[in-house]
Amino acid sequence: MCAEEKAMDRTEDMKKDITKDTDGALKSGNTASEQNENGYWRSFKELYNDPSFSKAVKNEFSPEALKAPDVSKMTALNRRRFLALMGAGAAVAAAGCNNYQDKGVIVPYNQKPEEVTLGLPNYYASTCSGCESACGILVKTREGRPIKIDGNPDHPVNKGKLCAKGQAGIMNMYNPERFRDPMLSKTQINWADADKKVVDALKAATAAGKEIAIVTHKIVSPTAKKLFDEFKLAYPTTKVYSYEVFSDTARKNAWMKSYGKPSMPVLQLDKAKVIVALESDFLSTEHNMLEYTRLFTQNRDVMSGREFNRLYAVEGAATVTGMNADYRIRLRTDAIEEFVMCLVVEFAAKKKLSGFPANLSSNTLDHFRTKYALNETAVKNLVADLDKYQGEAIVYAGDKLPESTHIAVNLLNDILGNTKLYSQEIESVDQMPLSAPEELGSLVSAMNSGNAAVVIHYDTNPVYNLSPEYGYADALRKVPLTVTLTEQVTETSELSQYVLPIHNQLECWGDFKTRTGFYSMQQPIIAPLYNTRQKEAIILNWKEPKEFNENLYKDYLSANWEKSMYPATGTAASFKKFWNSALHDGVVYVNEKPEGTAATFNAEAMASTGKVRASNDYVVLLQSNNNVGDGRFASNGWLQELPNPITKLVWDNYAALSVQSAAELGVNTNDIIDISIGNRRQSFPVFIQPGLADKVIEISLGYCRTAAGIVGTGIGVNANVLIAKSPALSDRIYNDAKVSKGSGTYELISTQEHYPIDSDPLLKDIQFRRGIIREGTVEEFKKNPGFLKHESHLEMDPINKPQPYATTEYTGYKWGMSIDLNKCTGCGACVTACNVENNIPIVGKDGVKANREMMWLRIDRYYYGTPDAPSANFQPMLCQHCDYAPCENVCPVAATTHSTDGLNGMTYNRCVGTRYCSNNCPYKVRRFNYFDWRDRFRDSFQYEEPLDQMANPEVTVRSRGVMEKCTFCLQRIMKERQDAIAENRNVEGSNVTTACQDACPAYAIEFGNVNDKGSTVTKYREHPLGYSVLEEIKVMPNVTYIAKLRNINEELHKKESH
Amino acid sequence: MSFDATYTRELPLVDGKSSFKELDDVIAKPTETKPTLKWWIAIGISSTALLIGATCLGLTFWYGVGLWGNNQPVGWAFDIINFVFWIGIGHAGTLISAILFLFRQKWRTGIARFAEAMTIFAVMTAGIFPLIHTGRPWLDGYLLPYPNQHNLWVNFTSPLLWDVFAVSTYFTVSFVFWYIGLIPDFAILRDRTKSGIKKAAYTIFSLGWRGSNRHWQHYERVYLILAGLSTPLVLSVHTIVSFDFAVSVIPGWHTTIFPPYFVAGAIFSGFGMVSTVLIIVRKVFDMEHIITVNTLEKMNKILLATGTMVGYAYSMEFFIAWYSGNPIEQFTFINRAFGPYAWAYWIMFSCNVFFPQLFWFKKIRRNIPITFVLVLLVNVGMWFERYVIIVTSLTRDYLPSSWGMYFPTMYDFGILLGSFGLFFTLTLLFAKTLPVVSISEIKAVTEGAQPTHLDRKEEEQIDYRTVF
Repeated sequence: MCAEEKAMDRTEDMKKDITKDTDGALKSGNTASEQNENGYWRSFKELYNDPSFSKAVKNEFSPEALKAPDVSKMTALNRRRFLALMGAGAAVAAAGCNNYQDKGVIVPYNQKPEEVTLGLPNYYASTCSGCESACGILVKTREGRPIKIDGNPDHPVNKGKLCAKGQAGIMNMYNPERFRDPMLSKTQINWADADKKVVDALKAATAAGKEIAIVTHKIVSPTAKKLFDEFKLAYPTTKVYSYEVFSDTARKNAWMKSYGKPSMPVLQLDKAKVIVALESDFLSTEHNMLEYTRLFTQNRDVMSGREFNRLYAVEGAATVTGMNADYRIRLRTDAIEEFVMCLVVEFAAKKKLSGFPANLSSNTLDHFRTKYALNETAVKNLVADLDKYQGEAIVYAGDKLPESTHIAVNLLNDILGNTKLYSQEIESVDQMPLSAPEELGSLVSAMNSGNAAVVIHYDTNPVYNLSPEYGYADALRKVPLTVTLTEQVTETSELSQYVLPIHNQLECWGDFKTRTGFYSMQQPIIAPLYNTRQKEAIILNWKEPKEFNENLYKDYLSANWEKSMYPATGTAASFKKFWNSALHDGVVYVNEKPEGTAATFNAEAMASTGKVRASNDYVVLLQSNNNVGDGRFASNGWLQELPNPITKLVWDNYAALSVQSAAELGVNTNDIIDISIGNRRQSFPVFIQPGLADKVIEISLGYCRTAAGIVGTGIGVNANVLIAKSPALSDRIYNDAKVSKGSGTYELISTQEHYPIDSDPLLKDIQFRRGIIREGTVEEFKKNPGFLKHESHLEMDPINKPQPYATTEYTGYKWGMSIDLNKCTGCGACVTACNVENNIPIVGKDGVKANREMMWLRIDRYYYGTPDAPSANFQPMLCQHCDYAPCENVCPVAATTHSTDGLNGMTYNRCVGTRYCSNNCPYKVRRFNYFDWRDRFRDSFQYEEPLDQMANPEVTVRSRGVMEKCTFCLQRIMKERQDAIAENRNVEGSNVTTACQDACPAYAIEFGNVNDKGSTVTKYREHPLGYSVLEEIKVMPNVTYIAKLRNINEELHKKESH
Repeated sequence: MSFDATYTRELPLVDGKSSFKELDDVIAKPTETKPTLKWWIAIGISSTALLIGATCLGLTFWYGVGLWGNNQPVGWAFDIINFVFWIGIGHAGTLISAILFLFRQKWRTGIARFAEAMTIFAVMTAGIFPLIHTGRPWLDGYLLPYPNQHNLWVNFTSPLLWDVFAVSTYFTVSFVFWYIGLIPDFAILRDRTKSGIKKAAYTIFSLGWRGSNRHWQHYERVYLILAGLSTPLVLSVHTIVSFDFAVSVIPGWHTTIFPPYFVAGAIFSGFGMVSTVLIIVRKVFDMEHIITVNTLEKMNKILLATGTMVGYAYSMEFFIAWYSGNPIEQFTFINRAFGPYAWAYWIMFSCNVFFPQLFWFKKIRRNIPITFVLVLLVNVGMWFERYVIIVTSLTRDYLPSSWGMYFPTMYDFGILLGSFGLFFTLTLLFAKTLPVVSISEIKAVTEGAQPTHLDRKEEEQIDYRTVF
């Protein structure tokens, strides 16, 4: 239609309108003279006083005018149509210019699943199978995706807490490198074929009388135990071998020898007034650290009014436990047994007991003390305390100490009456004892001799884990059929014919029993992501081959429960109800008591102890760690990047040496040393660790996996090769190591610059001089609770007075956090919890090397004392949400601002990345995205499917060039606010917990509304020991700390230097 | 010895008695002749450097500022060092052209044009760094206070924002000042050139200048006003740049002495750079009689004065650190001089304070090769001053747990090189296309241009040296 025609059309329209008007007016039959007194008229309608017109005059805006225009009815170029089309065009154009941060489409549910509401999380109870502790977990899911693993608060052992490995375990499920289909010699096959081949081989082996070996980790599940027993019935030549790299076998065996009981009662650490840890890291890397941390720190609570316990650590290594100890005695590990025997002799003499070695000059404690130049005060206090607190103290030997040392410790505890601290009610339960080294040896010989026809690796990696002296890898090559059930590639799967992919723990059914009195239940949180099967189901299916279905093991499990456990619980409810509530709670309590609790020390056991003597060689300690475990978490970047609590090193293991020993060897940090123990040798980079006993070398196991995917392969040095098949002391202590300086260097990377603690007077005790750490003794606190307030290091005004300048009054709720340094052990669980909650990227070793780690929460470690006998302070450091935040006034674009509830917020969208805020942050807690880390780390590993599904949808995934930092878990605060609005109530500070707070096994972190005077966090803030870091610069932080109290009789070392 | 007590004459500002024509010829020569081989080599080097910098910058845009050595805790490093360094360089130009003009220091005439041009190029170079140092440079527009429907406004308390205003104002005023000064010279070039294109260009830029009395009257007035406008900028711009640091809470940054200290340092470094370039230019373009040793000596005196002021500031920082009784502040300064970055500190101190003291000696002030070496050292020293302030303060601030060393990468060096490349490329293009000395002004200060009661012949016979 050309313009002319349009114009004509419009004229026509107008004409019609006029005609209509005239018609209407005429029809009404009125005359102009009658109706229009004022004489003015706007149209014929008005002139003839048409009622529709007068109505229209009243309602100035006709409904038609307000209606949205109907584009289809419009003429070609009407104004509204033009605008509508322009708008639509702009919208299309805008949609075409997709925001680079947005990927994918969000589609609402067509049919909403029951229980799932978009935007709201669901929680499911289950059990963590990351190690044999089998802690209860509570998994948070969003729209069906598990996004965070926390401890199950109902679980009696871990009580809602979870270690770093457990927390980071979520990444294992989403690991893009999980096997997705069964494989035969690295080619994809289907399950039916695999099953058929394996079952045929199993039958053939049974017929031929050849051995079928199943190699598993410790069996913690009673139903799995039953399954194995039944499997053995089906295939009688089956043998089940189980091993753990880190176990407390020595302790249990020693208990067996000492008291004749295979199961050990549970230690009630909370009842101990004095704890003597012998080469034990019960607060961090040893098993049961969650419970022990809780029980230990319960008596380190300044708010509770309870007496502080006192911790002695006697150790060769420098562990978290040692650094938290009130008195630390540096002693080479192989001399510990002698030390314990000296104590035994000392107390036996004191109590005039017979049957003990005479108190000769050569075995007195004094003699021993002089021989090893032990700290005299510490030893004297130790003896006095053990004497004073008989029955209220415990001597606790570390997992890795030899059996004979554990027996000596049992003896000492027995003499002192400390066995009272062992529970009469609860004892540990073993489904199946671990295989002795001889059994594993016989397996290897069976494999070598051809007697083993089938070897099934039941989620284990013996090729990497076992001592090379077994020759397991070579033997494995001779086995006709090798099957590995595994989630991800391992050294063992590389050597196996059949690699069968198994479910992650979050896709599994199961039950676990570690102690008397309760079971822990496991249920799948998500449907299997891939064509995988639960490992129990695979075995079950082979036991009696039939059509496989996903419910196979679930049915088996519930049948077993219905038959065995359900009746024992004595529940009145139907099994279905019982079962549902068991799965819902994750824990099932049963009424059972250990059999035969009374026990006396078996005098014969004494004969087997007290023989270990220290050598003159180097002692090598093979340590467990918070990061990769026995190597099974090697492909978890979060854990690899979690700094070691003491050394703060990441992405590596190393040989830690004392200052003295390093000088003797002529090596420095990053130099290489060669270690040989018998025929076994390995070279390690050196790290000089203050506080190690001289001639002790501490090395972490679990590193340098050769087949652990792109993240885990080749990280660190393999120390497993130093493990002996039949070690003289224990598989983790070797006192016959020869050490020499090697060639070359290797760069170790830490998150914290290490500087000499003593040599430079400028740096000595700097944490105290700057008011970063405040520390005193329990005695001082008792005498004068406010003693630390009064000695403000700069003699400036106390905190928050006077206000530097007027600012917002926080009249409503205001968020604050308090961290009790008495409870914090430095374990790192909070850091991992924060990483998972807040989608913290992994930056890799090179990223950390460039000082660009992204963790929002870090744990600062400060040494004091001498390089030989240091103590350490641990301080979780995160955004302090200062009232006068120095970051805020320097941001040119107002991307970081303060909220009315006292939060220092980051607006990522607005941030241009000047980094000025970070420069001006006195706490240096801001983190900058120097790259798109998700893209940068290992070929965009973190962007790969399905790892991208792991992200917490409540927390923005930050892009390159943006500053970020702790938000006080803003998403959780907003959730509470939503709930408060929905429920028409006020926001309750106690309803919000931060991720770090949830994770802390020591309950060291409190969070809440500081304007609520009754809240816990306020009590901590106003406690006489409460202080804020760097208070003299008056930025008014909202994170406060409770000063550390050492429970020692003497003045603190730092006092002398003042 | 005759003694004439009536008045003293100043030293001649232009050696010899060049006629106006000769001055026109000498100054306009580079713009009228084909570039020499020396010029080609020079621009070859500078544009290569520029290209290297541009490549490094391109890669930085593509991958992120992570290519640089910046880290936690050193959020700023070469980026802001270079920014402050180049802004400082610019200050000499404004001081020479504006402040010395207001103080009627005629000796400025020979060097003013060049110094002004260097100001503009230095500010251009400096201005790049705040733009590229951001993590998301494509959003730099957020730094401008433009009205928007989100009501999102910039943060007026941030010194970085003050920088935006200070630097853009500085650039605008300097540019206008420079251009106004060029107008009479454009007219001279317009009148001299025979090329049609050049003629057209010069005609446009000379804004119809005919040299009439009225033009000169307006010109002088505008020049005076602009000089007045520029003068406070000499003090304000670097004061505001120093606020980037002084307003923060970081020990070593949070110092009230920073504004005067930075301004003195800026003038110091600017004169260093002007001398460096002029010593080359007067040689290459045969302008030794226009940019005389006398002028250079005067500049060296300013270098001596400002260098000593800078030295005073360095010392005063230590004194205040001690006097404040603040142990963290004290640590920062002891760490500066004796910590891991002591080498940088002592490079700074010796180049800026020790070596310029040699200018107390007249022989050294008037010795061109030694002057050249010393001004080069000043350039190095002033770059390191910013390195010391920015890097050493950030590497070890409050919490020892977050201390960390800084290691620059090849991209940092590449961009630093590129900044020199940009500066010298612009300078060389300027030297080839525009008169490097103000032709009209130099005529006013050349011997014989002043009105005199003597006739020309008589005047020629006077030996000025005997007058003193």
